[in-house]
Amino acid sequence: MSFAFLLAAADGAAPDPMKLNLWVAGTALLVFGIAFAILYVKVWPVITKGLDDRNDKILGEIKAAEDARARASEALAEYEQSLAKAREQAQQTIAEAKAEAQRLGDEMKASNERELAERMARAKADIESARRAAVADIHANASELAAAVASRILKREINSADQADLVRDALGELDGAGV
Amino acid sequence: MRGSLVLSNLLLAADSPLGHVINGESVWSTISWVGEIGDVASLHEVMLVIGGVVLVLGLFFAASRIRTGSESQGNERYVTRGRLAQLVEVMVVYLRDEMIQPILGEKQTRRWLPFLFSIFFFILVLNLMGMLPLQDLHHFFGLHHFLLGGTATANINVTATLALFAFVAIQFHSFRELGIIGWLDHLTCGLLKGPKGLLLVVPIVFAVEFAGVFIKPVALAIRLFANMLGGHILLATIIMLPSMAQLGLEPGSGAWFGVSIATGAFAVALTVLELFVAFLQAFVFMFLTAVFISLMSHEEHEHEDHAVDEVVAEVAAVH
Repeated sequence: MSFAFLLAAADGAAPDPMKLNLWVAGTALLVFGIAFAILYVKVWPVITKGLDDRNDKILGEIKAAEDARARASEALAEYEQSLAKAREQAQQTIAEAKAEAQRLGDEMKASNERELAERMARAKADIESARRAAVADIHANASELAAAVASRILKREINSADQADLVRDALGELDGAGV
Repeated sequence: MRGSLVLSNLLLAADSPLGHVINGESVWSTISWVGEIGDVASLHEVMLVIGGVVLVLGLFFAASRIRTGSESQGNERYVTRGRLAQLVEVMVVYLRDEMIQPILGEKQTRRWLPFLFSIFFFILVLNLMGMLPLQDLHHFFGLHHFLLGGTATANINVTATLALFAFVAIQFHSFRELGIIGWLDHLTCGLLKGPKGLLLVVPIVFAVEFAGVFIKPVALAIRLFANMLGGHILLATIIMLPSMAQLGLEPGSGAWFGVSIATGAFAVALTVLELFVAFLQAFVFMFLTAVFISLMSHEEHEHEDHAVDEVVAEVAAVH
């Protein structure tokens, strides 16, 4: 078969692609009609529902996550607020404790100082009374001693008037000496 | 190389590229009682029936995998299982959310989604089945009466029927949404309510718009038919080149090898292009139907008409 013959044969037998064929059209009508009816009832509702369910699930999860985040933010804010309040209370407690400690310290200091002053005053009074007693003893002993010494020196009896004069003089000397 | 020559010779045996693409008799039509019915059981009719069955079974299978599972599955019940179902889901979600919903709005999308997706997947299945070299396999095994094979969407009768469905859907929607008065008002572009001076052009506008009512589905039919037919004729012609070259060149010579290699490479590229066209034409048919439906909606959508027109123009430009 030569090429030219082949082309000529092809030209002669060229079918018409635009040929009307109602059987084909009818078959297409029937097949697509049936397929569409089945798909319309049995397939597309299932597919769209599956896609919608998933979409709803995703949107629901996103909303739940957003709600959880909002709740977490709220809880965090509450926690921070409580923390701030606790800090404030702690500061206040510390300040009160410091003030109380200061007050107690001051009171103790004042009490100690007062007690010390009392003790010192008491000690001074005791010392003074002891000194006075001692001086009185000294006076008494000194007059007796002086009378004895004077008796021995003078070899005579000294009467009470003389003794009083001697004591007075001695005391005057003692006072002059600052005893 | 030998394989491409065998295929090329098989195609050449069909006398012309058209003989391999247009409708022909199947072995089923030779059965006596079938022949008595009429001119039935042609290859395209067989492919239509097989395509319909494949479509329904395939989508049934996909739907069973997309369906929400039982509660015992936990979060896994929302996961689509299987590649086919995932492929269907990706196409459905993309076309619904990115293509149809912006045009029709959520309510109308929900209403028209079953029809639009049915027509999309029906055309897609027929287009893809048309790419299978079923008739060539018959030749390969020495069979000269075909059980099946061919591209049903390369048949004007099939595409016209599908366009008829689209026409009915568009008009059903327009009467339902607009009513008779609204429909007439739409066909006069609202000029009846406009200035009286424009009433003179109302008959012309009405004639043009009324013609458009029929031209739109006719354009859908011819676009799909011509693209599928033209692509397959081109592919068949290219694949026939090595055998034609065999007639003028010495087989095994450098020139013959060059023709064969170039032809093989070009045929592969064209096949990939045809695969893309199979998806594109299914999409274009479905998308333009959605656009025509949206154009026949209430006036609140009319402000979107310019945007829709731009999209239509872009699709037409790509196509």
